[in-house]
Amino acid sequence: MTPRNLKIALAVLAVAVAIGLISLRSLHRRIQHLSETQSADEQARHEVLAPPISTPTDVTLKAKIFWAAGTDRVAPVEIALPLSADPIERSRQLLSALSANPPTPGQRTIPAAAVVLGFYILPDGTAVADFSDALTTEMPSGILSEQMAVNSIARTLGSNVPGVRRLKILIHGQEVDTLAGNVDLTGFFDVNPPAGPAKQAH
Amino acid sequence: MVEKDVVLQIARAVRAELERQGYRVVMTRNDDSNVSYDDRAAAANARRDAIFVSLHVSSTGTSGTARVYYHQFAAPIPPAPSAAVANAKPEAPPPSGLAVWEEAQRPYLDASHRLADLIQSGLAQSFAGSPVNASGAAVRGLRSVAAPAVAIEVSSVSVSTADSLTATAAPLASAIAQAVAAFRQASPTGAR
Repeated sequence: MTPRNLKIALAVLAVAVAIGLISLRSLHRRIQHLSETQSADEQARHEVLAPPISTPTDVTLKAKIFWAAGTDRVAPVEIALPLSADPIERSRQLLSALSANPPTPGQRTIPAAAVVLGFYILPDGTAVADFSDALTTEMPSGILSEQMAVNSIARTLGSNVPGVRRLKILIHGQEVDTLAGNVDLTGFFDVNPPAGPAKQAH
Repeated sequence: MVEKDVVLQIARAVRAELERQGYRVVMTRNDDSNVSYDDRAAAANARRDAIFVSLHVSSTGTSGTARVYYHQFAAPIPPAPSAAVANAKPEAPPPSGLAVWEEAQRPYLDASHRLADLIQSGLAQSFAGSPVNASGAAVRGLRSVAAPAVAIEVSSVSVSTADSLTATAAPLASAIAQAVAAFRQASPTGAR
């Protein structure tokens, strides 16, 4: 290759790299914009489906909401939330926050469209949470994702609602076999399971 | 890429490896059929000294990792000193020799946990980033199995090609076969 051709090739290469960098930046901005739009859409949809719950006894407190921490576990995030003195209303407020306001889209554990249709607490401390169909139909299938969803619901209740000892999940008023094909919803879940995250191999 | 097809490919590779080591393997699904959890459990419960392994591919989780689960029932609520609970009728035990179908796994929880830990320990060597210990979860497919039973989930179906998932079959098969052999050695009765 002659020096002239080499210069031309290098110039073409430099132009291609410059175009690539510009495209990459633009692509990054578009992805970021799409992600923000999606979050805003989800938020708006949730507000229509489940308007904020406000009660006369609401006091703004620090609540521990269990969202995803990485790809395989849930961890508490402290947020200020108006919480009712009534344990049933408080539970609805907490579950609404869990579904609607994850700090980032990646921390979401239950579908944005999942709303609490009913909530009950039995005298023995069993909480019964009745969710809309979206909890099952929009849940990514898999033992890990379903287990994280159940853990986030159960532990959020266990950490913020005194007297709740275990959880039963219903879908549209009915007992269903599984959450999204794997995790058994016919039984109960401990709201304060023994601690001990699994060690990772490296 | 369809999860059920990838799982079937992996399951066939696991079967081949186990048969090579002298185990008799019965597949609960060998085609595109949709077999219910209860039918799968019934197939296992009809055989003596069986070990039940349920294979899954997840759509989430860190790609290239594998997790092993044993069944976990919710802990019973300790009796509260209220009149309503005090007057509640205690649950009648099942007639002698019969297992409650919904809880058939309960007598095997310890064995399942041991088997799950053995498999998980092997998988942690082959699948970097996988946990060292197995996890307990309310896995529907394990609840009614009256035998040591585990579920193995490989992450994730969102990888770029099916080949990278099916490539997990060999190390998965090897880890399962080694764990089953170790489990059998440690247990007075095991699977064959």
